[in-house]
Amino acid sequence: MTLETVLVVAAALVGVGVYGALSQQSFVMIMMGIELIINGALLAGVGLWAYSTGGSPKGQMLGVVILTVMAVEAALGFAVMTNIYRVRKADITEKTKRLRG
Amino acid sequence: MVVAVSTSWVVDMAFAVFGMAAVLTGYRVFRTDSMVRASFWLLASFVNVGLILVLLNARFLGFSVVLMMAGEMSVMAIFMVMLMMNPAGLNPMTMVHQHRTSLAAGLLAFLALASVGVLVDFPDDPARVEPATVTAELGAEELGDSMLVFQTAGATLLATMIGSIAVTSRRGRYGDAEQGSVPPPLRPEADPADGEGAA
Amino acid sequence: MPAWLAAPPTVAFALAAGVVVAACLDAAVGDVVAHRVPRWSSVVRPWRQAAVVALQRRTSSERPDRQAWALAPALLLGLAAVMLTVVPLAPGVAVADVPHGIVLYGAAAATVLIPAFLQGWSPNSALAMIGGYRMFAQGLSSMIPFALVLIAAALPAQSLAVGEIVASQQGLWNVVRTPLGLPVYLATVPALAFWGPLATPAGRDLAGGIDLEAAGAQLLTWRVAQAGVLVGMSAVGASVFLGGWAGPLLPGPVWVVLKTVALLAALVAMSHLVARVRIERFVVLAWVGLLPLALLDVFLTGWWLL
Repeated sequence: MTLETVLVVAAALVGVGVYGALSQQSFVMIMMGIELIINGALLAGVGLWAYSTGGSPKGQMLGVVILTVMAVEAALGFAVMTNIYRVRKADITEKTKRLRG
Repeated sequence: MVVAVSTSWVVDMAFAVFGMAAVLTGYRVFRTDSMVRASFWLLASFVNVGLILVLLNARFLGFSVVLMMAGEMSVMAIFMVMLMMNPAGLNPMTMVHQHRTSLAAGLLAFLALASVGVLVDFPDDPARVEPATVTAELGAEELGDSMLVFQTAGATLLATMIGSIAVTSRRGRYGDAEQGSVPPPLRPEADPADGEGAA
Repeated sequence: MPAWLAAPPTVAFALAAGVVVAACLDAAVGDVVAHRVPRWSSVVRPWRQAAVVALQRRTSSERPDRQAWALAPALLLGLAAVMLTVVPLAPGVAVADVPHGIVLYGAAAATVLIPAFLQGWSPNSALAMIGGYRMFAQGLSSMIPFALVLIAAALPAQSLAVGEIVASQQGLWNVVRTPLGLPVYLATVPALAFWGPLATPAGRDLAGGIDLEAAGAQLLTWRVAQAGVLVGMSAVGASVFLGGWAGPLLPGPVWVVLKTVALLAALVAMSHLVARVRIERFVVLAWVGLLPLALLDVFLTGWWLL
């Protein structure tokens, strides 16, 4: 396990996440793609902390912030999704061609 | 003081297994017919990343990822079954658009980021901390130098809670959220707003 | 024998012994509650029931998710084993007294939701799936108070290692020091282990819920794993709130076992004495009652430490 391999795995997670977020139609699946992207970012950040920063605790702090981002993304994503379903009865992106209210 | 990340072949093997599993299960998320299975594949991916974090000696973060994601994927599975057609995956179906473009974009993102990871010469300065003190350092950092960051994260979470409740509230200032909403059309290409196909 | 080789048999033995004790306690308490004198025959009863379940013919529903269905009991058993690994028997003696034992335990306890939902979802049967939903409802609403009281118990130790938490209680046990901790813990454990008054996912009103379609070896493994989770949660509760190995006269490991059995007996008695709770009521209770109590527990412990 080296920094390079960790970063390659993180890049692969981001790549899969980008593919998912762009290709999926349903809102929940798009959110899953975004979660995978953040997951890759978390792995890359912690990898850099472990190998390149001499163990500065600020690197782990970044990990905590990324976890927060993940929680915010999930909560707001679900909230917006619920509201779109209430207003438009839409569960996939194709049903919301007009975003104007 | 020891080097935080062990260099034994056991760790290397474990990393190889977890890393491949994380990516493969992440890919399976978008290759399954069932929404519930998709959320559990994503959970598997997160658990594997959590295990890699444990290998990297960031155990608190690793265990926290598993703890958080077990709850979040439960919520996700509930939303899946609530909102999605075909939640159980009884009928094979793909719900994708712009498939080739996304595949290309994903590959491009992977190649770009991986080449950054491989080609850039990051400083070689591995963490030298005892496993037991890593979390203590994190705690001291959270409530010491980085307290502003930590408090901002807390305030952001509070704002998120209030915001999501406000957004999802059924009754608003301008009346019921469901007022004027129409059921989905029977034909997928129909305009949802015109109510075509409404029962 | 190297330590890593001795760990799996130790955990397996602890798990098996705990499950047997739980089954015998269940039979004995059932007798007492029914005003019968516990006899040796009542200790044999769980074995007979287990044999009956094991010899059942494996049934199948229409188009189940077979992999997930087979995975659910194995996963639950694994989680029970993880819970037991963090329990220290004596100072420094644990299978894995890792520096973040209590976080590892919390992660394992939160993950219990997943196999329980899978057990209900994978048979592709409506009532079983409603059982899985109930598991999510009660699990998600009890998870936060459950984690908060554990954190409050870890505060005086200034450590997340279970061994350190036990060591910090040598003068005063956490059950006295953080008086709200153990009650909230005992109120949330049945929800997470879907046990006793909160066995709603497998409720009779759902004709068995998540157990509805299960039979044979799968159901037996599932029941054993569920009892294992209960044992693991009792053992960690005994370490975190009842002082673990601390106690007069007897050696430390004996005290750990005695306290674990005491908590296990309390949980088993709960299933015979407390009426089943309706899930809607419990969710309200968890968010409106248990969560503020757990927060109060954290604040009071912090205040006491200052």
